[in-house]
Amino acid sequence: MTEVIFVQDGQLSRSIEVQSGEKAEMILLVLPGVSCDIKLDVRLAGEGSEANIYGAYVCGGQERVKIAVDMHHDLPHCNSRQLFKGIAGGTSKVDFYGKIIVAKDAQRTEAYQENHNILLTDGAKVDTKPQLEIYADDVKCSHGATIGRLNEEEQFYMRSRGITLEDAKVLQMISFIAPVLENIEDEAERELVVAQFESSIRNLAR
Amino acid sequence: MFGSLMARALQDSRFFMSKDKEILDNITDKEYEHGFVTDVEQEFIPKGLNEDIIRLISAKKQEPEWMLEFRLEAFRRWQKMPMPKWAHLDIPEIDFQDIIYYAAPKKAEDRPKEIDPELEKTFDKLGIPLHERQALAGVAVDAVFDSVSVTTTFRSALAEKGIIFCSFSEAVREHSDLVRKYLASVVPVGDNFYAALNSAVFSDGSFVYIPKGVRCPMELSSYFRINAAGTGQFERTLIVADEGSYVSYMEGCTAPMRDENQLHAAVVEIIVEKDAEVKYSTVQNWYPGDAEGRGGIFNFVTKRGICKGSGSHLSWTQVETGSAITWKYPSTILKGDNSSSEFYSVAVTNNMQQADTGTKMIHIGRNTRSRIVSKGISAGRSQNSYRGLVKMLPGADNARNFSQCDSLLIGDKCGAHTFPYIENANKSAIVEHEATTSKISEDQLFYCNQRGIGPEEAVGLIVNGYAREVLSKLPMEFAVEAQKLLQVSLEGSVG
Repeated sequence: MTEVIFVQDGQLSRSIEVQSGEKAEMILLVLPGVSCDIKLDVRLAGEGSEANIYGAYVCGGQERVKIAVDMHHDLPHCNSRQLFKGIAGGTSKVDFYGKIIVAKDAQRTEAYQENHNILLTDGAKVDTKPQLEIYADDVKCSHGATIGRLNEEEQFYMRSRGITLEDAKVLQMISFIAPVLENIEDEAERELVVAQFESSIRNLAR
Repeated sequence: MFGSLMARALQDSRFFMSKDKEILDNITDKEYEHGFVTDVEQEFIPKGLNEDIIRLISAKKQEPEWMLEFRLEAFRRWQKMPMPKWAHLDIPEIDFQDIIYYAAPKKAEDRPKEIDPELEKTFDKLGIPLHERQALAGVAVDAVFDSVSVTTTFRSALAEKGIIFCSFSEAVREHSDLVRKYLASVVPVGDNFYAALNSAVFSDGSFVYIPKGVRCPMELSSYFRINAAGTGQFERTLIVADEGSYVSYMEGCTAPMRDENQLHAAVVEIIVEKDAEVKYSTVQNWYPGDAEGRGGIFNFVTKRGICKGSGSHLSWTQVETGSAITWKYPSTILKGDNSSSEFYSVAVTNNMQQADTGTKMIHIGRNTRSRIVSKGISAGRSQNSYRGLVKMLPGADNARNFSQCDSLLIGDKCGAHTFPYIENANKSAIVEHEATTSKISEDQLFYCNQRGIGPEEAVGLIVNGYAREVLSKLPMEFAVEAQKLLQVSLEGSVG
């Protein structure tokens, strides 16, 4: 079952150990106004275990959001996937750090990590440090990180079809965050979360 | 029917696996072909490092007072600095008092007109012809042997265009205002531990100045050779490309096989003025040590360029196959608006080699562009890391970066790591980074094998294809050497 966590102000430290055949799934949500320091330590400690960690953050003020994830692959045949997406506006500062460590004997590992960010203002700052530390050869590992802005061509496309700039931006930001929120299994819960993100994004676009 | 096919396929795959294993096991036995020692009479200064030694080096080079002051200032700073420990490297303790900081081939009383035949033979053996008539068409060479520059070719042809290409010590004596203006303007003396050490004891290197609007008609090249035992090489390169000029510069290095570790700590500074372009290529093939990790060069190098004027361009291309330990991050400061920089790298590590290498792109100006392509290949029991920084400062409007870092693992005892640092403080700047790590795909190997290409050859083919994007950026003379080097470095390391 997917664990959905609304992160609160302050520190959040979690150590997760995933046993053979088990699957851990977690979604971290950071809404505007929340400054937090998240530390996750995930250990795939049984053969064939799996971990999926997702995160979405939206910052519009003076938030400081720090996320650090260590993903340890100790044994063969384990899979992990991480997807973190966020929007930084105002004078917020986002720090992302994510490391995938694949031990010597952890053959047949598949580990992926992505971190994508959108900067809305010049006052906001995003630093990201995705890292791979790999000691086994039969692996498929990758990470990707981007920091960019809202695509102006997309905005033009929508505006030329009668959608206001504000609505266009809201649509862009929602669809940017959506791949994270999609992973909430329970439909009612998902709709609730999407609605919450939508209203905070709408505030940001104003 | 189906069952028998399955059995057959299984058998085949086992056959290939055992074959691969076999090849993997007899890996690494390729000898380092530049491992010979040249027997020339050399003059050394005493071991160790203190202010007297620095005064001695400076006196030997007949340097002006300001140069000595520069060295002493660097030395005083260096003494207060700790050795950097942040790299993903296992560096044994280095005793800096146990190194000879200056070694030069002995010369007759008067400077001889001809190069010592032994030296000439050495460079011939390395495939670096020093006689202009035999020289590769269009390449001017500056050859540095231990601590001194032995000869620089094609100087008169270059001088006609106003280009200065000479050894660093000569530049200090003859073009001291230029050297004084630019020296340490990109890499300050106290920049880091090894740069400070280099600033204190550097012995020779190359100096290049391309005047306004001049397109250098030939490739410039430096060739560095460590020969003497117990010494370190500390060379310094300074390249200045004035407005609208162009130069392509290549650097190569080799050293004899020895059981001891030798230190090589160089500093390269490049200044690119408005609309100028510099292309800097390195093929680094220092002695990597033997299969058990004995000996080899410690290659701790600081290379940095600045795109000072608008529209300037700096491109780094490196093929790193040698050295026991490599610590090297050729970087660019993109200061001028619309300036651009590229970094292309292939780093191969085998046996017990360690490499921590990458680049830094600091975007200051508007519309600056940078591109990073790094291909790491690790085999044997080696560790190969990419470490890079992309930084967008608040003023870097519309700046753009793309980085691609791929790692290839050959064998299950090596490691490949990626440590990018990405910082963006400008909303219109876009940074993209992606990295992958994998081994050579069995599908690709199978495809080749099926067509009669043996496993080893197939790996050579795949690795070359994998590195092509970088190799294709090298000047022609180097591309051939680099391709051969890749093959030699990986000989037998196939799995």
